[in-house]
Amino acid sequence: MIELQELSKSFGPIKAVNHLTMKVPRGRTIGFLGPNGAGKTTTIKMMTNLISATSGKAFLEGVDVLTHPKQALRNVGAVVETPEFYPYLSPLETLAYLGSIRGMHSNEIKKRSHDVLEEVKLEEWRNTRIGKFSKGMKQRLAIAQALLHEPEILILDEPTSGLDPRGMVEVREIIRALKKQGYTIFMSSHLLGEVQEVCDSAALIDHGKLLLYDSIENIKNVTKVTKLEVTSSSEITQENIAQIRGMPNVRSVETVNGHTIVVTHEGPVDSRGDLLLAIQSIGIRVTGFSSIGLPLEMMYMDLVKESR
Amino acid sequence: MPEGTPHEQKVPGDLAQIPIIWKYELLRYLRSKRLIASIAIAFLVIGLIYVLPPALGHPYSGSRTDSRLTVEGLGSVGLPSGSLPFGSVGLLNDTGVNADTIVVSVNGTVVPKGTSWFIAGTHGTPTVNLPGSAVVLFFTDDLTESNVTASYDWTTSAQDFEGTFLGFASILIIICATFFGADAIVGEYQNRTGYLMFPNPMRRETLFFGKYAASMTAGIFVVALFYGSIIILSAITIGAVDDRLAASFAFATEYLVATMAIAYLISSVLKGTTGATVLTFFLFVMILPIVDSVSMFSGVKMSGSVTFAAGVIQYVTQSPYPVDSTQSVGAITIHAFYPDPAIAAITMLAYAVIAIVLSLLLFKRKQLAG
Repeated sequence: MIELQELSKSFGPIKAVNHLTMKVPRGRTIGFLGPNGAGKTTTIKMMTNLISATSGKAFLEGVDVLTHPKQALRNVGAVVETPEFYPYLSPLETLAYLGSIRGMHSNEIKKRSHDVLEEVKLEEWRNTRIGKFSKGMKQRLAIAQALLHEPEILILDEPTSGLDPRGMVEVREIIRALKKQGYTIFMSSHLLGEVQEVCDSAALIDHGKLLLYDSIENIKNVTKVTKLEVTSSSEITQENIAQIRGMPNVRSVETVNGHTIVVTHEGPVDSRGDLLLAIQSIGIRVTGFSSIGLPLEMMYMDLVKESR
Repeated sequence: MPEGTPHEQKVPGDLAQIPIIWKYELLRYLRSKRLIASIAIAFLVIGLIYVLPPALGHPYSGSRTDSRLTVEGLGSVGLPSGSLPFGSVGLLNDTGVNADTIVVSVNGTVVPKGTSWFIAGTHGTPTVNLPGSAVVLFFTDDLTESNVTASYDWTTSAQDFEGTFLGFASILIIICATFFGADAIVGEYQNRTGYLMFPNPMRRETLFFGKYAASMTAGIFVVALFYGSIIILSAITIGAVDDRLAASFAFATEYLVATMAIAYLISSVLKGTTGATVLTFFLFVMILPIVDSVSMFSGVKMSGSVTFAAGVIQYVTQSPYPVDSTQSVGAITIHAFYPDPAIAAITMLAYAVIAIVLSLLLFKRKQLAG
């Protein structure tokens, strides 16, 4: 379990993380979201002994990492900001190094190294010096080293950052597999779709403050803002658009082309039906009416906008 | 994590983790070619120092023929006239004279050893201690007015031979501190390897001392090779090795401990590997020696300077140990100071301890915030 209590970090007058309090139950996968500079990486750095906290506590499996980092990190695997590796070592040597530090027996290191390198598809590069690796390969190796000692908790800072689309899919598959195995995963990401696809819950921070922390299911249910794409067989005139703008719960209308518009609607799910009827009532022959964009994205944009 | 109940990872103790860090850091020096480069520098310099003097007409051994002796009364070596059955005394002002090969001629005629002349300290003659390595001959007759010459074989003394190499020892140590210590800490931040290492169950002190042990191992290996090469060359060329070389090596090791600690301190303070490397090298090669040189004119002995203290590495092999002196050249007074061995040892130890404590504190506080 991960528990943050009033965790704060200031850089001079700037409060990067502001009294952050949250709990991640064992076995859950949480997506940690926020715009650039929101405090995501700072939070993760405090949780992984890379920087100190100004105040507060960060418990990993019940041990405060800020006061007892060695004890707290013994069952943690972390990937923070695409780490660099020692270029003179091979993946096998790197894993042997880290495994020894973490107290693994040499036989266990050999077995687990084979397993994790296979899992991240680096088995054939196991004896090649890392200095020759691409960023994507290093990212995969970073995940491998985090998994090596089979930790209780995985802390991943933008794990798909810098990867090509295929690499991103592969990493997501790995995370999904880990989630099934019962790891507690704390994952920051810019990619809302990725979080919605992979995580059980999402936490959104901005300006170092927690704005939202709920399950993905609940977020989907409570998301009020929706983008609706409306397609008509007849041309949608400027007059029609003005009329739609004046309808209840409509926040804005954008024209895609003469036959398609995107309506930003704010209100309960039921009211979308009323909107459809209202649009039809002004003479538009609707041939398509569907929501576009992800609920999490809508929520994210809405909350971040409010926060700023 | 295996599905089901969580398991506890048994992490080694701090001391048990240090050798792990040491092993992989040492591998770094081996594979990054720094170790090979520093060994190559050492051998290159040794080779040049060994080859150049003979090539420039200053061989390590040879023969002198009819070298004129300075012959004076017994009073010149502090013996009262008439106190011994000798009439005069002669000085052979040369190093490494092979006493068995001395042939003395008086006014062109060879005179027999053991009846006409004796080497001081043999055949019951008194021992005469003079500065330098002059050989003292006692003559039964008063030859102060005669033309006395001597022919003999000579060899450079082990002390002089080894001393020419030891002048480079402190530079080699600085090179080792620069190669193996200057980027040890700052590299973890600049090269972002700290993101890999710091989130591990390991104290920063463990990482620090593991790295420091590896840097010292590499440095001592290079310095030991340097001294080993001197011993071999001295044995081959001179046929003797000066015992005091061991004391010199001990001081060289202590200087390495101090310079490495200061290199680590610089590495903990600065943000870039290039800056740390350049500053470490020039601090010891240029900045501190400039400060030390002020003492030559100011008359203040810089016993607290680590580079001044390092002079003991060379001076400790000299016999007698050089003493401080003052010389006036016109209106200028020039002072020559030599580090006292005991004070030099304390100074280097103090630098090492203070630098290690400071760099460790800074390393613990330094954050990967960038």
